[in-house]
Amino acid sequence: MKKRKLIASILAASMLVGLLAGCADNSSGGNETPSGGGETTPVEESQEPSGGETVDWANFTIDPAQIPQEKLDTTLYLAVSVRGLENPYIATINDGMHLFAEYLDSIGQKYEMQVLDSQGDSAKEVDNMRQFAAKANGNAIAYADPNEDTIAYSLAEAMAESGGFLGTAWNKPADVGPADLTPNWVIHTSPDNVVNGYNIAKALFESMGGSGKIFVVEGLLGNTANNNRVAGLEKALEEYPDIEVVAQDTGNWNTDEALTLVETWLTQYPDVGGIWCANDNMVTGAMQALDAAGLLGQVGVCGVDANTDVVAAIAEGNATATVSSNGYLQGGYTLAICYAAWTGLLDVEALPAEYREFATPTVLIDSPEAAKEWQAYEPDFDFSRPFDCRVAD
Amino acid sequence: MMKLNPAATITEEFAERIKSENRSARMMKLAPLMVLIGMIIVFTIICRTQFFSPSNLLTILNQMALPLVVALGLTFVIMLGSIDLSIDGTVGMAGSLFACFVLNTEFGFNLGFFSVVIAVGVCMLCGLAIGLCHVYLKIPSFMASFAFMYICKGIGMISYQGHPPTITDPVIKALPTTYWLGVPFITWVSLLMFVLCLFIQNYTAFGRHIYAVGTNESIPRSVGVSVEKVKIGVFVLAGFLFGVAGIIGAIRLGQGQIAIGSGKMFPAQAAVVVGGTSLAGGKGGVVNTIVGVLIMTVLDNGLLILGVDPNIRTGVQGIIILVAVILTVARGAKVISK
Repeated sequence: MKKRKLIASILAASMLVGLLAGCADNSSGGNETPSGGGETTPVEESQEPSGGETVDWANFTIDPAQIPQEKLDTTLYLAVSVRGLENPYIATINDGMHLFAEYLDSIGQKYEMQVLDSQGDSAKEVDNMRQFAAKANGNAIAYADPNEDTIAYSLAEAMAESGGFLGTAWNKPADVGPADLTPNWVIHTSPDNVVNGYNIAKALFESMGGSGKIFVVEGLLGNTANNNRVAGLEKALEEYPDIEVVAQDTGNWNTDEALTLVETWLTQYPDVGGIWCANDNMVTGAMQALDAAGLLGQVGVCGVDANTDVVAAIAEGNATATVSSNGYLQGGYTLAICYAAWTGLLDVEALPAEYREFATPTVLIDSPEAAKEWQAYEPDFDFSRPFDCRVAD
Repeated sequence: MMKLNPAATITEEFAERIKSENRSARMMKLAPLMVLIGMIIVFTIICRTQFFSPSNLLTILNQMALPLVVALGLTFVIMLGSIDLSIDGTVGMAGSLFACFVLNTEFGFNLGFFSVVIAVGVCMLCGLAIGLCHVYLKIPSFMASFAFMYICKGIGMISYQGHPPTITDPVIKALPTTYWLGVPFITWVSLLMFVLCLFIQNYTAFGRHIYAVGTNESIPRSVGVSVEKVKIGVFVLAGFLFGVAGIIGAIRLGQGQIAIGSGKMFPAQAAVVVGGTSLAGGKGGVVNTIVGVLIMTVLDNGLLILGVDPNIRTGVQGIIILVAVILTVARGAKVISK
């Protein structure tokens, strides 16, 4: 009996190990070895535009003719490192990588691409990145959305160990940045979340005529994006003294939890005028609760992310506002800039600080017309001009 | 523990011990109900009319539907002395598949009721697979179901690939606002599942076999009951209920998302245990579970109405759950529960 138990527990342990290894090793998909990738160390080959100080970085262009043929023939590994594709916004980042891959096809670059899915686990995200970078042997570029602030540097370091190039987005501590890991940590970009939170709040308050009661559904407490969006909301609240927050809690970015919150609050405050949500998943839940209470369309709702269903609701007049961070643009352009660095066309060391850390543009969708326009939006980018994604100061 | 008359004979002592155990068992049976009533009284006193308003009672009925069905499925598994960790995956998968196959914004299928069959069927297959792995490959239920949580999440994610389908079928869209005798449709579904489970538990041989297997496997085996079949049957039944729960979730959200299932497992475990079903197996049942689910739902709802600061709410919730478990779990002095 004891022996059996022992065997069972060994089996369980080995299953666990296997499972974890299986999860972490989702980089094993393309086991094609990079053809002659080993000897190319792109860092040393910094070329052309590094010359004078008068480089017009905003108009920096990738000229395929200047990319050495051996680079084009080397298999380049592309990746986006994200929290999980079940989130519609994150899916658009993956779509952005595919758009960029089409560009690579057009210039004849050999590549392989993959999604590094951290499933919301910070340690796993770093492990994934390290394995991916090691496999690519320096011929790697990636977009990463660090699961938490603190791992941004570790991710860049994991990439730097084998000489690949990384661009991060959204989360990083204020006191570290791409400059600490030149040239491998190429850029860090983020849409301005304080502005996002402020803009949607303002649109909501305007729709309420500047006074009334609101519910606030926050995202994960302590998360940078949430904190900044709430800071934006608070800024707007100062400008509208007649708006009263009657209930505030966290829906943990989750549709289901937001539904429960709003459903419960509505029993207390059926006279609510608006609902501010920190993301669109939670807007979906809030709208469902309003619908059940027969209030859909009468109570304004706003969020961030421009989920398809929320944009459709704005077009129908059932929601007030949302903001698109344009995941296509974030994913695609980050890879484009990293690609320029990998080919050697872009000298990361010469790149000024404002081109290493900058804000990417967002689109405020706050009217049925704007919603219809966004629904018709087809991302079409010219990746040969990688810094087009930068919001000028 | 109890005072025994030193002059009593062994027979008398034994009889007295049994009597006192029966007494405490009866007390323990009522404990969860006491906790529930106590909690309702406290919330009523603090929040006054807001807690007992008709609209809030309706909200509680709405909010208990999904957790109840999940916890019912888990109850049978726990009665076996096993555990099912696949809930987050199976519930989310069922909701996603259901939304994909009815009329929706993303896909062209419009299978109507047949999508219920697909969603629940896939969940039952997963339950069957967990059962088979557990029984024949001798994998602990803990591990087999844990693996299936990921498998099911994967199936759910593949089903809509990042673009969650919003349900547009007018009949299904109207269900969250459909009431019968003042009770929401989805709550009726969950109550129907409850009655079904109660029937299985009390009036079928299968139901009694679950208790027997949970208490001591070797006894039913010695009288010719196929322990394997009972175990597999329980996992299939759990899969069925998780599937139904997922569909309830999708109906409530109006959208198919894998997130329908996330964070559903541990509250369900807590509900089952707070209700008085022993993690060691063989004790408890679905009536305990409905009380447990009510405790959890009322706690959630009450704290929200109280407006407890979100930063401390989670902690407070944990403390109250712990207290509830302390008050309700029958503790034998000899065995520390697994």
